[in-house]
Amino acid sequence: MMMASEDEVSLLVIVVDVNPIWWGQQANREPQFTLSKCLDAVMVMGNSHLVMTRTNKLAIIASHCQESHFLYPCKLWKFGDGHGDENASTSGDGKYELLSVANDFIAEEIKNLMSRTEVKGNQTDTLLAGSLAKALCYIHRVAKELEAGQEMKSRILVVKAAEDCALQYMNFMNVIFAAQKQACDITGGLYLKIPQKIALAQYLLWVFLPDSDQRSQLVLPPPVHVDYRAACFCHRNLIEIGYVCSVCLSIFCNFSPICTTCETAFKIPLPQVVKSKKKKLKPST
Amino acid sequence: MNAIPICCFTRATPNAIIFHILQFLIELHLEVDSIKMDEEPERAKRWEGGYERTWEILKEDESGSLKATVEEILFQAKRKRVFESHGQVRLGMMRHLYVVIDTSRTMEDQDLKPNRLTSTLKLVEYFVEEYFDQNPISQVGIITTKNKRAEKLTDLAGNPKKHIDALKKAKDSTCGGEPSLYNSLSLAMQTLKHMPGHSSREVLIIFSSLTTCDPANIYELVKTLKALKIRVSVIGLSAEVRVCTVLTRETGGSYHVILDESHFRELLMFHVKPPPATSSSECSLIRMGFPQHTIASISDQDAKPSFSQAHLDSTSGGPGLSMGGYFCPQCQAKYTELPVECKVCGLTLVSAPHLARSFHHLFPLEAFQESPLLLHHTERFCEACQGELKDKSVFTCPSCNSVFCVECDLFIHDTLHCCPSCIHSRSAP
Repeated sequence: MMMASEDEVSLLVIVVDVNPIWWGQQANREPQFTLSKCLDAVMVMGNSHLVMTRTNKLAIIASHCQESHFLYPCKLWKFGDGHGDENASTSGDGKYELLSVANDFIAEEIKNLMSRTEVKGNQTDTLLAGSLAKALCYIHRVAKELEAGQEMKSRILVVKAAEDCALQYMNFMNVIFAAQKQACDITGGLYLKIPQKIALAQYLLWVFLPDSDQRSQLVLPPPVHVDYRAACFCHRNLIEIGYVCSVCLSIFCNFSPICTTCETAFKIPLPQVVKSKKKKLKPST
Repeated sequence: MNAIPICCFTRATPNAIIFHILQFLIELHLEVDSIKMDEEPERAKRWEGGYERTWEILKEDESGSLKATVEEILFQAKRKRVFESHGQVRLGMMRHLYVVIDTSRTMEDQDLKPNRLTSTLKLVEYFVEEYFDQNPISQVGIITTKNKRAEKLTDLAGNPKKHIDALKKAKDSTCGGEPSLYNSLSLAMQTLKHMPGHSSREVLIIFSSLTTCDPANIYELVKTLKALKIRVSVIGLSAEVRVCTVLTRETGGSYHVILDESHFRELLMFHVKPPPATSSSECSLIRMGFPQHTIASISDQDAKPSFSQAHLDSTSGGPGLSMGGYFCPQCQAKYTELPVECKVCGLTLVSAPHLARSFHHLFPLEAFQESPLLLHHTERFCEACQGELKDKSVFTCPSCNSVFCVECDLFIHDTLHCCPSCIHSRSAP
C-alpha cells in the first residue's frame, strides 16, 4: 500500500443534516440516539481523519432548514493554522490541541446555530443541494490556495437524516455534475443506510474513513441498485421507452402533438407517399 | 487577419507580461471586427486602417510599475468568460458535429509546440471531452484530410472513448501534401444529410494550410451545404483565407484565426456550447429508451454472462463477456455504456441523468452584479467559500443578494450553474 507523500493533501468535508423538526421527532422515536450523539460520532470521524496524516484537512457543514452553516473551520481564523482565540482552552488531559479546540468550537457553533435559527413550518425534508454547493465552492477555494507542488484529493461525506425534497431535483443534479467534473471520474461514492443508528460512529470509521485508494483493499457493503429510469412528465410513472421533446427535453409516455412544457407544435411523421411512375406508352407498331 | 504585422510587433518585446496584455487588447479588436463582418460584405484589412496605439492603454503609477494595470487587465480577462450567455434563445440540443482536421504538410510547422499536429490533436481530445460533458445526447465524428483526399478517422458516435483512442493513435501519423476542402466537406455531407431534421448539423474545420486542392467548383458545394442547412465553422491556424470566409458566411458559421495556443483553446471551447437553433430546424418528439442497469453476480441463479453488442465489432482486446449491463427495452440487446444507438432496433438509449445535464442550458443562471468592495463593509466573507473578500469588487446575486468573490462567481457560472444561496429556498426553479 502506498504511503501518502507529504505533498498530498486530503480534504474531507462532512455535511450533517440537522433539520430540527426531524431530530425533534427522532427524540420521541428513539431517545437513546439524539442529535448530540450523532454529532459526537461525526466529531470522532473528523478527529480520526485529522490524525491519520499530518496534512489532512477537515471541514464540517451543518445543513439547516433555510441555510447551511460552516461548523468548522472558523471564518475568523486564518486558514490552516492559528487557534488565536482568547477562549481557547488548553485541554488538561494531553489531547492533541488541534482536536480539542476543534471539538469545542464545533459544539459551540452548533449550539448557537440551533438556538438562533427560527423554525418555520413543519417540513421534514432536507435541503442538501445548497450545502453541497457550498462544499464544492470551499473545495475549489482550498485547491486554489495550495502551495506549489502540493496535490489535493477531496471528498464529501453526507450524513442524511430526513428524506429528499423533490423540488430540488434540478439543483441537486447540477451540483452532482459539478462534483463529477472536479473528481475527474464518476463520483464513485458509497451509499449506506445504517440499520442501527446508535452505532453510527462504528459505521463511519469502518466504511468511510479510508480514502478511495485504500477502499479497493477492503470488503465493503455491496452497492445498492439505482433505478435510472425516467419518469414521464404527464403521469409521473417510470417508463422504459418514452418520447423526448427536442426543444425542452421533457419526457412523455405517449405521442402528443403539442409539448405541454414549451408549447411547441410537433411535426407528425406521415407515411411517405410514393409517386407512381408514369408508364411510357409504347407506340404501337 | 494578416498575421505578419502582429508577429513582428510582438517578437520585438521580450517581456512576457506585456505580450499577454497586447494579446488581450488585440483580441478585443478582433472581436469588434467580427461583429462588423455581418454588416458589410468586405471589411477593411488591418494594413489599410490607421495604427492603433495600443501602448497608450498601459499607464504607469507614481513608482513606475505597471502592476495595477496588469491586475486590472487580468481581472477583466477573467470576467469576460462569464458574459457570453444567450439569454432566452432556443438552443439546438441534439447536435451532429463533424470535426475536420487538416493533416497536410503545413501541420509540421513548429509555431505551436511541439508541432501543430500534436498540439491540435491534444486540444481536440480536450474538446471532445468537454463537448460530451455539455451535450450528452449529441454525436461527433472526425475526418482528416491530406494528399488531396479526405478520410474518416471515426464515424459519428455518442461515446467519447472511441474518438479519444483514435486521436491518440493519430499522433503518429505523417503529414503531407495539400488538404482538400471540397472532399472533406462532401464526405461530411454524405452522412449529415441523412440526419433527422430536429438535430443541428455542423462541421468544424481546423484549417492550417493556405491552399486547397478541389476536384470541382467549391462554390457550388457551398450552395448545396446551405440548402441542406449544414453550418460550417472554421478555425484557421495560419491566416485568413477567402474561400473559408465565404464558406462560413454563407452557411452561417464563424471563422476565426488563432493567435497562440491559449487562444486556440478558447476558440474551440466556444464551439462546445449549443448554438442557437435556426428557425428552420424542426421540433419533434424523439423516441428514446431508458434501460435499467442490471448488476448480476455469479451467485444469482438466472444470471448468465453475455456479450455486449458494442464489443462484437471492436477489435480491441479484453473479455467481451460481462454479467451486468444495460438491456434495450425494445429488443433486449445488451450494452455496457450509455448513451448508445441500439444496433439491432435503432432505438436511442439514454439515461435520465444524461438529459438532466442539458437542463442548465434551458434555465441559465443570471450574471451577478458587480459592485466595488467598499460599498459592502458589513460583509467580509464570501457566502459560498467562506474566504475573505480581498478583490476590488464583489458579486451579488440579484435574487438573494448574497455576496460572492470573483473565484466563486466564475466557478458558479462555469461549473455549478446554480446560486448556492438561492437553492436554500424551497421554491422550485
